[in-house]
Amino acid sequence: MQWVLNALFRYRNFLLFFLLFSFSLAFSGIQSSYHQSKLSKGSLFISGLIHEPFDVLYSYLNLSEINKNLVLENNKLKNLVLEKAEQPESLAKEKNMVEPSRYWSIPAKVIRNSFTQKRNIIIIDKGSRDDIIQEMGVIGTSGIIGIVNQVSLGYASVLSILNQDVKINAKFKKSNVFGSLSWTNGMPNEMRLDDISIINPVKIGDTIVTGGMSTYFPEGIAIGTVAQVELPETGGYYQIMVTLINNMTDLDHVYLLGNKDKDELLQLIDQP
Amino acid sequence: MIQYYSRFLGFAFVLLLLQMWVFDHINLFGFSNPFLYLLLLITYRLDLNQFTFIFVGFVIGFTLDLLTHTAGAHAIACVTIAFLRPIIARFALGVNYDQPNAIYNGTLWTNRILYLFLMIFIHQLIFSSVAYFSFSHLWKITKLTLANSLFTFVLITATINLLQRKK
Repeated sequence: MQWVLNALFRYRNFLLFFLLFSFSLAFSGIQSSYHQSKLSKGSLFISGLIHEPFDVLYSYLNLSEINKNLVLENNKLKNLVLEKAEQPESLAKEKNMVEPSRYWSIPAKVIRNSFTQKRNIIIIDKGSRDDIIQEMGVIGTSGIIGIVNQVSLGYASVLSILNQDVKINAKFKKSNVFGSLSWTNGMPNEMRLDDISIINPVKIGDTIVTGGMSTYFPEGIAIGTVAQVELPETGGYYQIMVTLINNMTDLDHVYLLGNKDKDELLQLIDQP
Repeated sequence: MIQYYSRFLGFAFVLLLLQMWVFDHINLFGFSNPFLYLLLLITYRLDLNQFTFIFVGFVIGFTLDLLTHTAGAHAIACVTIAFLRPIIARFALGVNYDQPNAIYNGTLWTNRILYLFLMIFIHQLIFSSVAYFSFSHLWKITKLTLANSLFTFVLITATINLLQRKK
């Protein structure tokens, strides 16, 4: 005990320096999102290495559950293929279906998932050597998960949709009314849909899908259903709470979506 | 000692406000600003407890961060320079490294210049690196460090001469 106290006393200057330095670094992370994303790139490498062995064990114990999900997903895909095969091409176009040719997908595995913070981050086991790039959309078995933020050689971090900085373009499945979906630090299965004007009819249970107005997600991927609608006393917009289809607290396999036309689209947007 | 600290506090108050209102807006050649508040860390008595000094450095840097909305760069640079000061002083001022007012009298002017230069340059290097925080901005960091160091150095040397004459 005496020895520990002696050591603490002897290196007190360094310890104080280290403490205050770390505090300042943390402060810069809080103050500026640029510093935060740079810092998180460094920590991504370390946390990726640490979490992977634990995840191997966990995923082994979880195999039966994963199998069940895979079967379900396979079934869904098969249905989709069959449905497409039955429809004439012109009909499919008319129904505004997702054009599969514009997006390609890369499967990945979640090795760390957080959902209790204000800015939740997911880490996956694919990185730049697997052709993952920044700002790819991430979807799960049923519904959207987030957007790729930082990429290292073997890992990538994903800004979860449970992140107060992320806003997702979303619309109603039944109509083309667009809004902006954001997380308000509440439950991990609830998000808020803003900017829906009160001139549009909204019912509880309406399905919300991606709007396709960003380069991250194709149009029409399911997000959730309307759980609660409030008519505000002032202002012309609904306050809508959406229950997510995905269980964001139980993620395992995800798919990263790349957009082939992204550069072209961004160039168009950037043009004055 | 209480008298010294109260004077230091007043000095700090004036310099931080000056830094916020005046020196952060000079923009010489469009980008260079002097960091006169470094005078606080440079002239703080060399014989005093370093533990307190590191804390003082942090408080100064952090206050300025809050005042000028920078993301922790001042705090990081100040706390590091406060931690490194005994090493710099021993290197630059030689045997006089723990004389209370070694930068005003009792040392060769070459030693003083070296001490001033090292303190300012290291502070600026850390400050610019943290502010840009990326290797891709290496040229910008170098340019800013050199220009700001020179500007700060001229201003601080002049101020120290002024203070010295008063004494």
